[in-house]
Amino acid sequence: MHRITRYLRLYFLIEAQYIKARMQYRADFIISSIGMFFSSLATLGIFWILFGSITELAGWNFMEMVFIYAFYMIAISPMQIIFDHFWQLRYHVTEGTFLKYYFRPLNMMFYYISEMFDLKGLTQLAAGIVLLVYASIQLNIQWTIARVMLLLASLFSASLVQIAVVVSASCAAFWVMNSWPVLSLAWKLREFSPYPMSIFDGAFRVLFTYVIPIGFVAFYPSQIFLRPEQVSPLAYASPLVGIGLFALAYRIWTLGVNSYTGTGS
Amino acid sequence: MKKYFAIIRGAFMVGMVYRLGFIFTILGNLVYLGVAYYLWTSIYETTNVMRGLTFNEAFLYIALGSAVFILLKTYSDWWISREIIDGNIIIDLIKPIDYQLMTLFTNLGFVLTNLIAITIPTALMLVLVFNVTIPYGAGTLLFPFSLIMAFVISYCFDYFTGLLAFYTESTWGLSITKDTIILVFSGALVPLQFFPEGMQKVLMVLPFQTMYHTPLMLFTRPDQPWEALAGMLLVQCGWALGLILLTRLFYLQAIKVLRISGG
Amino acid sequence: MSLIQIKDLNKHFNVLNRREGLGGAFLDLFSGDYNIVRAVDGVSFDIEAGEMIGYIGPNGAGKSTTIKMMTGILKPSSGAILVNGFPPHANRIRQAQIMGVVFGQRTQLWWDLPVIESFKILKDIYRVDQKTFDDHMGLFNELVGLKQLYKQQVRTLSLGQRMLCDITASFLHNPQVVFLDEPTIGLDISVKAKMRTVIKELNQTRNTTIILTTHDLGDVEALCRRIIIIDKGKVLFDGDVKKVNALFGAYRTLKVQVNDFDESTLKALAGQMIQHFGTNNGISISEVEKHWTDITIDQARTPLADVLSFVMTNFPVHDVRIVEISMENVVQKVYDGALS
Repeated sequence: MHRITRYLRLYFLIEAQYIKARMQYRADFIISSIGMFFSSLATLGIFWILFGSITELAGWNFMEMVFIYAFYMIAISPMQIIFDHFWQLRYHVTEGTFLKYYFRPLNMMFYYISEMFDLKGLTQLAAGIVLLVYASIQLNIQWTIARVMLLLASLFSASLVQIAVVVSASCAAFWVMNSWPVLSLAWKLREFSPYPMSIFDGAFRVLFTYVIPIGFVAFYPSQIFLRPEQVSPLAYASPLVGIGLFALAYRIWTLGVNSYTGTGS
Repeated sequence: MKKYFAIIRGAFMVGMVYRLGFIFTILGNLVYLGVAYYLWTSIYETTNVMRGLTFNEAFLYIALGSAVFILLKTYSDWWISREIIDGNIIIDLIKPIDYQLMTLFTNLGFVLTNLIAITIPTALMLVLVFNVTIPYGAGTLLFPFSLIMAFVISYCFDYFTGLLAFYTESTWGLSITKDTIILVFSGALVPLQFFPEGMQKVLMVLPFQTMYHTPLMLFTRPDQPWEALAGMLLVQCGWALGLILLTRLFYLQAIKVLRISGG
Repeated sequence: MSLIQIKDLNKHFNVLNRREGLGGAFLDLFSGDYNIVRAVDGVSFDIEAGEMIGYIGPNGAGKSTTIKMMTGILKPSSGAILVNGFPPHANRIRQAQIMGVVFGQRTQLWWDLPVIESFKILKDIYRVDQKTFDDHMGLFNELVGLKQLYKQQVRTLSLGQRMLCDITASFLHNPQVVFLDEPTIGLDISVKAKMRTVIKELNQTRNTTIILTTHDLGDVEALCRRIIIIDKGKVLFDGDVKKVNALFGAYRTLKVQVNDFDESTLKALAGQMIQHFGTNNGISISEVEKHWTDITIDQARTPLADVLSFVMTNFPVHDVRIVEISMENVVQKVYDGALS
């Protein structure tokens, strides 16, 4: 417990300074927030256009899709905001600058992620929250304290899934010279997570449910709130999937960190 | 001309080094095609023709769109802006070569690599795995030419975005915004026919549709009357020429920043 | 008990012999034939608290690998290594608390933050109390006038300023041992001198053990009493720096460029040198690059000026340079038995 409060305190200390320093680049913040806003809503825009010609997609109406999409936007935000430094892991590893993370008396993953805090990701989070509130009003979802708690827990575990996928993919850098394609593939797959998994069958459903379980980033957990009467058992497995995947990703990270020898001799 | 050929060759060689990248990109594209296949199957669940397109046409449009996307995705906006911010552009400027042509031909080298390593395998998958029927007609013959025009136009957008680095270092936001606008409004993600009528009219007078919608329609509807085909190509050529001129003018303007501040 | 104890330390790497072509790359994923590289090969030495050691050797000698094992990044293949009584790899976090590290040109400070904020964060990370912190910052302010840099962002510092800040940071938590890897590389002479003063001062006032790896023999000469020379993973020499200095301080290399140079010129040069200066002349000759001939001279035996005038009068010399002895030359001399 003492350790958690110490790390939290350190995190706020570092991030407060970091944000203060980044605020000098206000134009960059505004431009990249706009970019973030548009790119994170692109797929929803496509759904909106498609729903001009159809009323249901595999049994889901547009507003339900908005809810799933909003859930997705919130669930990927922690990855974007807190774990953003993982995008640069491959540079640190190949250029040897990764060495410095070994020298502090801190948990290495903590030290590594604390070096960056992605402000523009807050745009995505805010847009996601607004959309979620809007969709749940439109859908007339009844919120009780218990359901809100359940929502928070589901979002938490869903974000762990997303974090685990990106962390694992980034860690390829410890073993592969040019690891960008691995990360890029993980990024591409992520974009399919707000799709209703029920449109897939066979290999694809297995792939997105059990192999690279992006179905757990948004679709399965949001069923609990959209169709409580006909939830598939998978939806309730999502916290386990989130925690399990994160543990696995952390293990891969530890293996990578231990196998890293640094450049040069 | 010979020196520009050397540039293409150089970029091609660089591209071929990243073989693992191709395997993963093809893999990623295979997954994308699969997702698109299921998505469009779902969309066409209750009807055979929608917005004047059959399932086969719509899926061919989208699938081919993803292949064109990879072909045109050379990240030149990223490396041009990097060069400008790092100041390495000076080295290119003292060479006896036109900067726009040099970057264009470097890009062409990357495009050729993409074509051989990714686009052709993707097209093969399309026919072999997804069993798509390929229509033939006059448009099929015009398709390669239209693709080259699409490349020039796409390059102009990349070049313009890259040059903005003379004014701001916030290139991530600019590139991602440009990518999103092009993807959504060009027909790369959803055929333009699916857009609301009013929006379609606006989109048809904007240049974005010439990068995807034009070549994709030539390919999926090759049997259109020749006036229609020629009209589409003419619009495309017009945009290509116009954008080259505009970006050239913009370059002359932007380069002044370098002359004044010393980079 | 010594602060650092190293006994029969080995670190071997398996390096994959890569196959060619796409098929080869695919096969390499499953099996490959490996070469064993003995980066550190049976190294033993003890370091006492408060010592300042010059740990030197040419590129690829195994210096960094040893340092990485001492700091707990790498696990030894075999042999024992104890820092403050513990194997560093076993508990990285505990060991990091008693170590300070400066790695050449790569800063460990927060790139975007003002200098003072970096120090404040480090204060919390290492749990340094306010008084120790103030004393430490005060000392550095006295030594190098650090205060004027407090408000600057780390990214805007010059290389020399950044190195000073990094060194300040590495001593902040009063570590028992500090590893300095090429702390003066790329710095001009006045900053270099400042850096050496600071390091010496800290070693003396706080009794901090310092392990210095460097290419600059001048650093070692100015700071260390003991020197360890390593090459190909093995310790070549471990002893008093004076002994090394007495030998290499006197060596200079005369590089000459001779017109119409060929094999016979090299032979003639060597022959005439022996004729003129005798057999035990302390001169060795080699052609290291095209047109340039290196004449390494032990000034204790033959003055450099004599050799220079001899060469100038007897050969059609085009150009001349005089350089101090290089790390590679030192190592070669040690192999040749100069220190035994």
